[in-house]
Amino acid sequence: MLKFILKKLIQMIPMLLFISFLVFGALQLTGIDPVSYIATPDMAANQENLDLLRERLGLNQPFLIRYFNWVGDILRGNFGYSITNGTPIGVLIAQRLPATIELALISMVVSAVLGISIGIVSAIYQNSPIDYLGRFFAVLGQAIPQFFFGICLIQIFSIKLGWLPSSGRYSTYATPLRHFILPCLTLTLSLTSVLMRYSRNNMLGVLNSDYIKTARMKGISETKVYVKHAFRNAMRPVLVILCFRLPMLISGSVVIESVYNWPGIGSVITDAVIAGDYPVVMVTTLMVAASILIASFLVDVLTALLDPRVRLGEE
Amino acid sequence: MEQKDIVLDVRKLNTSFISDGATVHIVKDVSFQLERGKTLAIVGESGCGKSVTVHSIVKLLPQNARFTAEQVLYRRLDEKTGGITEFDLAKMDPKGKEMRSMRGADLGMVFQDPMSSLNPVYRVGDQVAEALMEHNRGMKKSEAREKVLQMFRNLGIPDPERRIMDYPHQFSGGMKQRVVIAIAMINNPEIIIADEPTTALDVTIQAQIMELMKELQLNMGKSIILITHNIGLVAEQAEDVCVMYMGRIVEFGSLEQIFENPLHPYTKALLRSVPVLGLADDQKLETIPGATPNPASLGVGCEFADRCPERSEACSAKNVPAYEVEPRHRVRCIKFSQFKEVD
Repeated sequence: MLKFILKKLIQMIPMLLFISFLVFGALQLTGIDPVSYIATPDMAANQENLDLLRERLGLNQPFLIRYFNWVGDILRGNFGYSITNGTPIGVLIAQRLPATIELALISMVVSAVLGISIGIVSAIYQNSPIDYLGRFFAVLGQAIPQFFFGICLIQIFSIKLGWLPSSGRYSTYATPLRHFILPCLTLTLSLTSVLMRYSRNNMLGVLNSDYIKTARMKGISETKVYVKHAFRNAMRPVLVILCFRLPMLISGSVVIESVYNWPGIGSVITDAVIAGDYPVVMVTTLMVAASILIASFLVDVLTALLDPRVRLGEE
Repeated sequence: MEQKDIVLDVRKLNTSFISDGATVHIVKDVSFQLERGKTLAIVGESGCGKSVTVHSIVKLLPQNARFTAEQVLYRRLDEKTGGITEFDLAKMDPKGKEMRSMRGADLGMVFQDPMSSLNPVYRVGDQVAEALMEHNRGMKKSEAREKVLQMFRNLGIPDPERRIMDYPHQFSGGMKQRVVIAIAMINNPEIIIADEPTTALDVTIQAQIMELMKELQLNMGKSIILITHNIGLVAEQAEDVCVMYMGRIVEFGSLEQIFENPLHPYTKALLRSVPVLGLADDQKLETIPGATPNPASLGVGCEFADRCPERSEACSAKNVPAYEVEPRHRVRCIKFSQFKEVD
């Protein structure tokens, strides 16, 4: 198993390098001239000055040399500087990423617990009132757009009732926890409904399978049938969905961030794209790609733990 | 025959399924007796209710199934004292403790498809041991392991010490079916229900598996209910035969009675449609005209009437009872109405 994990980790390195190459190469194709962002207007009037600046910044070097310089800098922890405001990108990420990760991870854990347990209870008591109620909320959760649900929550809890703050992460008038509740609830709603539907459908499929009949025919209790024989088999596809939501939550919570004015990384990415701040775009793209690789690594390890066919097939 | 020689006495078993608000009657008034130490074959085409019948007996039916029976009487024989204990499975709660104590311990079942009958995430040895430990609380793991190893050896699984640690996907189809049989037999149950145990296996493996079951039966004196649509298998394995059509037993009798003196037109047609060695070159295999009716749209009277070459007006007038034509040979056909009516 350890060998399996190591192998999967090592496989990530060439993938990351390849992605970084693509990111770097793609931005060369856009034809953005970095010098035009840096040079002041009177400096830009003089072509000689511009050429000198280009030479000093190493922009005249061949493509591959520049690429390796960039990768080397990143490996040394130097991510470069934002063109628009000159902030080191490392600092920018360190400021914004924790807020995003906090929101993403806690929403994931809450929705995993809620979604999986409601889904499994719905499957066990198929076509009972519990099942209908669960399915109703699952459809609702998937049908309501996140921004709309977010606005509804603000209307109810911030404006009408005045219980919770409507925006931001810290303030003088509310604890961080109270700031956290509404964004977390909004993110949790949609993820819970997805996980609930997957858990329910997988559990139903597994409960109809022959090996569950074999287990029941041994005379073991229903609880044991569900916990020991069905759960583990039903969870494999659900975990895949869950893991692959991680990168989406990290890069894609832009909507939540703008509704709640949440200082996360999503708005950094969109702002950088709009402003043409290409060093920030490159690093954040790389970061999202890395989070996808980590998610698929988690999927590999978890499925291997749950399923001997994967574990033994790879060894 | 004495009562205590009948290990399972099923009377008027009915099972229906509710689908889209309509009730479809799948098993109708099925009654049969299984003799101790004998094999009873249930034959009939796909969808005739064979499988539902045995699933009703062990009470593993889907949620939308409705089950009633006058009795499903199981007579357990105490090997030491020779005493008989009676259990009426029909009265037990399908998920209750009483029924669960029967499953695995007194009733074992071998399923149709060995490929999907084992849980892919557990070691085969553990899956067999689970059945053993469930009915022998407090048994030590090492003791269970010994018993599983012995069972694997009896079933001809090579290198059992290593193979009990394997996962199902490391086993071939025939070997998997041996594991399924091991699960069914590990508690030494009195009745083994084999629901088309060889349908999913290739022919050479089929023969091996059936020989194995026959051997275990002879050595241990078990009673077997064998569900199949392989008439050849019936001829080799069974002492008694039930012929089912559209949820009813149309004919019941000993192997000789059914094969040498088939009475019901359906049984006759079924036997004529079996290929035999020595068929002349231009001789065509007979088929039964028409198609199986939809169980939801059946009217009263004999279910086979529409396809029967010997039908008369009276066939569809009312439901046909079973008549006992000779001792233990019962047929559900109006042509034999001069004989004694039995239920």
